[in-house]
This record gives sequence, structure tokens and C-alpha cells, in this order.
Amino acid sequence: MNKVITINLGGTAYQLEESGYDALRAYLEAAGVRLKGNPDRDEILSDVEQAIGEKFRTLLNNFKTVIVAAEVSAVLTEMGPIEDDSGAAGTAAATGGSGGAGAAETDSGARPAGAPGAAKRFYRINEGAMLAGVCNGLAAYLNIDPTIVRLLFVLLTIFWGTGLLIYLVMAIVVPAADSPEEKAAAYGAPFTTQEFVRRARAGYYEAMRSFPDRQARREWKRRFRQEMRGWGILFHREMDANTHQWRYNWHRYWGASAPTGVGFALPLISVLHGALAIAWIATLNSLLATGALFGVLLPAGMPVWAAVLLLLVVYGFLVWPLKAARRAFYYGAFGGPRWAWPLVCAADLLVSLAVAAIAVWLALRYWPQAREAIHNLPPVVHEAVDNIKAWWARK
Amino acid sequence: MRLDEKFSAIKKGLLEFLVLKIVAGEKVYVADILKQLSATEFSTQEGTLYPLLSKMRREGLVDYEWKESDAGPPRKYYELTAKGREQLRETLDYWSRISGTVKNLGQK
Repeated sequence: MNKVITINLGGTAYQLEESGYDALRAYLEAAGVRLKGNPDRDEILSDVEQAIGEKFRTLLNNFKTVIVAAEVSAVLTEMGPIEDDSGAAGTAAATGGSGGAGAAETDSGARPAGAPGAAKRFYRINEGAMLAGVCNGLAAYLNIDPTIVRLLFVLLTIFWGTGLLIYLVMAIVVPAADSPEEKAAAYGAPFTTQEFVRRARAGYYEAMRSFPDRQARREWKRRFRQEMRGWGILFHREMDANTHQWRYNWHRYWGASAPTGVGFALPLISVLHGALAIAWIATLNSLLATGALFGVLLPAGMPVWAAVLLLLVVYGFLVWPLKAARRAFYYGAFGGPRWAWPLVCAADLLVSLAVAAIAVWLALRYWPQAREAIHNLPPVVHEAVDNIKAWWARK
Repeated sequence: MRLDEKFSAIKKGLLEFLVLKIVAGEKVYVADILKQLSATEFSTQEGTLYPLLSKMRREGLVDYEWKESDAGPPRKYYELTAKGREQLRETLDYWSRISGTVKNLGQK
């Protein structure tokens, strides 16, 4: 009689004899060491894990649910040792995009051991945080350097205070990773958004510039559309999983104050949502007018429409927690009769409009610059429309 | 046996070229590549192929897309990029020059 250990390979659970588990862990650890310094280390390791999982699956059936030690070692022999001679030479030879990927390596070393298959979730991470751990958590989620995220927030704050706004929203809505499971999830396996970032960085979209003929272009377009649709579905699923995980914390912290929260928090969230939308439109306008984001040029080979798409993803990413929190407040407070949700939305909209109107009225009364700005609003709108038209014409 | 050892370095270097050729044929995933190679002198293992493919992707020669499989999680299907196709063409050229040299050298 042997002890059995359950493991997670590429999202599927397998049961292994204990000595087989030790062999597998030794193999993966050795692979990790061998791949040290390889910019794609995490990706290769997850590929290898998935390949091992597929081999395990062929060994199992309805009557055999455990993989014995001998089978594990047979599979590992079949896989062969990880041979990586690309190392430093490969990195030097690789052009463009991979330069930034090397930096991503540094923080993955801090990942808690024993959670290779944990799905990644967005949490605030307080260890090593400067304020509330939003940037830290976001960096872990997207697998980039926290310093870059912090810089981005500072930059965004300089431009109309957007960064500060986003930071506040996330600090309130996104829960901190407290338990070990939550911490593991905060550093978990890579996921969709990260893959998107990687592709954008690797100049994936550059390929479309060098089409030999029309046919190839059409084929590429078709594939792109298909891929985008896939992205959309994956993104929704990802964000749903995120909010699902957060909901527990919301109940814990806000459960008691939910009834009063609805009256107060819902309109507040709507106002924040509106502010984000305005900031997004302004960003888009700046992008279309100058072909750059606040004077920062796009990476070479990245067409404007790809940047617009990226902005759209970022916006979705920012707004999602707000929407989810709103819904959670509502269902938390009333136990949620579904039919009343539109009513709450309408009431919410009215209150937000009233708040906005009061804000505008106050600004007009006591703040001369605001008066001027509102007087200038029609020309600004015209200008934005002209920008879009000009961009189309250039296309 | 001896010959096999002598050629191990050359075979290792040629592997990338062969993978380019296999990927050029149709979209394949790693098990397909291994299967096609297994019948030849270049038979290899996942442990070698995954790092090689990731290096080729980094150099922009191949790219992959996720595809659903009938059983289990989605798989990465690899295909050539424009740069990879160009590289394959050049390598084929170069290869035919080399094999021409091997054939003709020393004959009168």
C-alpha cells in the first residue's frame, strides 16, 4: 500500500504514488535550474508540465486512476532531460521584443514553491509594497517589473490625475492577498492577458506589414479576427474568475455595511466609472491626434489600431472590477431579486447625473478656469472628431 | 556506432533546420514533430524540442496559436512566420550547395 499525492499539471489533477511524485518534482526542479537565464523559462516549464500531463492521461482509464512510480519514471525517460544550449547566445541573437522579457524573470524567483499550477488571480500584495500594494499585485499578475507599473501610474497621475483615480479604485475594490492560498494565486501560472502583453511586446503585429500578396493578407485578417474573438471569451472568463475569488473578501469586509453601502457606494462607483470613461476618451483622442501616448511614441512596428485595441483591453481591465463591485453590493444588500437590477441601475444613473450636475454647477460658480473649459467644450469635441477623420483619411 | 557519435554535433545543429521544414508543411504540435522525427536518424525528445522551439519563437522564425484538442486542454500549434519561411529558403539553398560540394569534391 502506497501513499498517493494529487498534483496539478496544466489545470488537470493527477494522482501519483509518492515516490513517483518525488521523481517528477526532482525532474522539474532540474529543468528549472537548467533553464535559468532563459527568458522563456516559465513558458517552457509550463509546456513541459502540460506534455507530461498528456502522457499521464493516456495511462489512465475508468478503472485505473493512480499513476505508479514506474510509470512516472518511464514518462520522464521518454521526455528526456531538458537541453537548453540557447542560454545567453539565444538571447543575444533574438531581436527587439525579447529585451524586456528578461526583466520579467527577476520577480518569478519569489514565487512561493509548491504552487506551479495555481491559476493566477489579481490581488493586492502587501509584501514589498509602497502604498496599498496595487502596483505590486498588478506587476505579479502581468508578470512585469513592479517599477515599470509604478512609473506608469506616476505618469498617468501627471496627466489629469488618472493614475491616482485608478489606484484609489483598485485599492478599494481589489482585495489584498492574506491567506497562503491567495498569495499563491497572486503569483500563479501565467494567463491570457500576460500572453497578450507578450505578443504585443514581441512585435507580433509587425508581421502584417510584410505580406507578399492579397491572399496572405486576407488569411491573416481572418485569423486575427478569430483570435480576437477567442481573446474576448478568455478575457471575460478570466475576469469572472477574478471577481468570483474577490467576492469572498467583499462579503467579509463589506457584508455588514452593505445596506448603507448601496445608497452611498453605488453612485460613487458610477461617478468613478464615468471619470474613467472620460479619461479613456481623452487618451484615445491624444493617440489619434499625435500617434503617440502622451508624447511617448509607440514601439516600432506597432500600428495605431493595435494601440487602440490595447487601450480597449486596458479600459476593460480597469472598469471590470467596478462593475463587479456594483453588482456585488446590490446582491449582497438585498439578496438580489434579479428583476429589480435595472431599476437600481436607473436610479444609480440618475443619482450619478445629479452628482455630476452639482459638480459642474459648483465648478462654474467658484472656479473661473472650469467655466472657460466648459465654454471651450464644443471646439474640443469638434477637434476630436477631426482627429478621427484625419486618421481615417491617412489610413 | 562510431559514425553516429561522430555526427552527433552535426545532427544537433541540423535539428533546427529540420524543425523548420516540418513546421513549414502544416500546423503541427510538439507530438507531431516528434513523431515525424522518430522514424529518422534525428529522433529526439520533448526535453530538447521545447527549449529549441521557444528559442525559434524568440528569434521570430515560428509562432504558435492555441487550439482546442478533442481530449484535454488546448495545445500549441506551431507555424512558420514570414521570417521563418525566408530562413528556410536560405537554408535549403545553402544545404544544396553543401551537399553539392560533398558530392563533387575530390572527383576529377
